[in-house]
Amino acid sequence: MAGFATKRLGKELSKINSNSLPPGIELVSADNFEEWFLDIRVLDNNPLYLNQIYRLKFRFSAQYPIEPPEVTFVKLADRPIPIHPHIYSNGIICLDLLGQQGWSPVQNVESVCMSLQSMLTGNSKNERPAGDEEFVRANRLRPKDIDFYYDDNNV
Amino acid sequence: MPPPNTPEEGLLPPQSEPSRIASILATATPPPTNSSLVQPSSPEAANTAAPTSQEDPALLEIDYQILEYLDTVDETLLCPVCKTPFHSPVTTTCGHTFCAWCINRALDIQPTCPIDRQPLTKTRDYHRPPLIIKDQLDRLKVKCPNKGCDHVCSREHLDAHYERRCEYTMVRCPDSKCKKRIARRHVQEPASTCMHREVSCRYCDEKVALVDLNTHYDYLCSGATTKCSACDATVVLHRMEKHCADDCPEPQIRCKWHIAGCKIFDKRYLVQEHEDGCPYEIIGELLKQRAEDRRIIDNLTDRLVTLETERREHQERRARRRELSRQATNTSRGADAIDLSAPDPSSFFFDMEWRPELANVTSGENRTWGSPEDYMLARFERLESRMEDLSKQVVEMDAHQSMSMLQQIMPLNQQLVELGSKVGVLNMHTTWLMNMQRHNHIQQRAGAASASTSGLSNSGMVSSNEINNNAVRPPSEGGLPYRSTSRRNSDGRGEPPPRL
Ligand SMILES: [Zn+2]
Ligand SMILES: [Zn+2]
Ligand SMILES: [Zn+2]
Ligand SMILES: [Zn+2]
Ligand SMILES: [Zn+2]
Ligand SMILES: [Zn+2]
Ligand SMILES: [Zn+2]
Repeated sequence: MAGFATKRLGKELSKINSNSLPPGIELVSADNFEEWFLDIRVLDNNPLYLNQIYRLKFRFSAQYPIEPPEVTFVKLADRPIPIHPHIYSNGIICLDLLGQQGWSPVQNVESVCMSLQSMLTGNSKNERPAGDEEFVRANRLRPKDIDFYYDDNNV
Repeated sequence: MPPPNTPEEGLLPPQSEPSRIASILATATPPPTNSSLVQPSSPEAANTAAPTSQEDPALLEIDYQILEYLDTVDETLLCPVCKTPFHSPVTTTCGHTFCAWCINRALDIQPTCPIDRQPLTKTRDYHRPPLIIKDQLDRLKVKCPNKGCDHVCSREHLDAHYERRCEYTMVRCPDSKCKKRIARRHVQEPASTCMHREVSCRYCDEKVALVDLNTHYDYLCSGATTKCSACDATVVLHRMEKHCADDCPEPQIRCKWHIAGCKIFDKRYLVQEHEDGCPYEIIGELLKQRAEDRRIIDNLTDRLVTLETERREHQERRARRRELSRQATNTSRGADAIDLSAPDPSSFFFDMEWRPELANVTSGENRTWGSPEDYMLARFERLESRMEDLSKQVVEMDAHQSMSMLQQIMPLNQQLVELGSKVGVLNMHTTWLMNMQRHNHIQQRAGAASASTSGLSNSGMVSSNEINNNAVRPPSEGGLPYRSTSRRNSDGRGEPPPRL
């Protein structure tokens, strides 16, 4: 069955358009069914993320939602990469929810955004993942090809 | 699935169709509309139109994920994976429901439940979902997925419509050598010729598939042209009539708001200019609006009237039922047990009243659950009377049971009493024997003391005669509770101890 992702994303989009997203999450663009951009911000007063808005890029394969989307933070003039022990400075997110193992097809764009939101909210460490610099320098792979170790589940 | 082009009633293309094409071929009169030639196709057709497999399916399958539902569907009926109402759902061992297709795909990637991550095995861990889910899905109102068809039906009837009746369903071309598909409505009877066969346009040199001919004539054909005598424009010859009727700026026409009172009557292009600011437009719009309102009001009135009558009917029926069931309960209350087996008047009533309606419900094309609460009430009352019957039967059973219990217990009781009496006798004899023994001991001791040896030789053995002589008597039975049943030992004094 072709276009499974398209049909599902169409459903999600019309739901977003009619019900709007939860607070702190905004759809920036969804011009096609391959790549969407969303803005998220943290709702509490966590000083690490205060008054900041972050841009997320979703890339969907044709197998979405059976396969997870590829989600990264995007750096722009007014959209930094949030500091977090599981977010590399090039925007790659290390979250088991987005890996092949942790993903579930009942997830959707909205739920992923909310998970990321709470991942930031719950963080108090002002640091990048170990080996960030090296990783960012060496990394030419697509995020999904990287074999993350989800050794830390309390993110 | 019926074979394609089975000449069923529903399959025949509209009567006008073949004759229309024939008339087009014969005359230059363009058909009034071209909408019929917008290629209808199931949405899947676009993706899978070119069949690669040897076995070409008679029909393309309906894609349930893009069906258009008329009402908002309850969240609980949406598959958590595809977010559309379930299609052939399965329920997993962990109790979650998915479209079979969706859960299969999900388990291909990861063998756990997408919701609670319980390990799952394809098919083995699937169950049939509760019937109530199927019922609810069946009742959803959907639009026919074929483009051009605006048929709406409950989902359970969609397959039948799509497979057998819809004129816009793409079926196999009647020519068995042709691999293309064609809307059922374009299939001509007798179905033998391929509608994809190319024919030459009457007006130009182009070759056009028979099925596309109307579109070609109306829009694409650039055959011999001529100049319009009125406006000087170059017009394709066979479209001249249409040009004069709709497009030519020269002929005089009336303002489109003439129904509102505009008196303008002039050449088309002048009138068109005028129409933009026609003062009667407002009135015209108002009139239109009014007509629309009128129509809505009429519809509503009709609906109201039918609803009102329906309601009254239901009320009457319900009242009648109440009355009857009350009578039924009254009579059964007064009746004795034998009457219980006779048919309950109320259930008889329901049979008469409800069978025809139920038949309608199942055989009708569209389910008319016109009176669900009525139906439920009927069911309820019926169940209630059944309940009453059953509870009476239970009471009866109970009585019967206690009777037979008693009958079985009585002999047991007697045996028990008998046993008790025997134990009493045994007890009696034991006491008697012990007394005798003691007596003997006393005698022996007395005898030894006085050195007289009357009973010394037979110290261990005591004969019955001796016992009698020694006047050791069994205790009298007077104080024993089993006197009435003890027969043998009523006079055991002179006898040996009774057999046990
Ligand atoms: Zn489950
Ligand atoms: Zn599904
Ligand atoms: Zn249809
Ligand atoms: Zn053909
Ligand atoms: Zn032509
Ligand atoms: Zn003209
Ligand atoms: Zn006018």
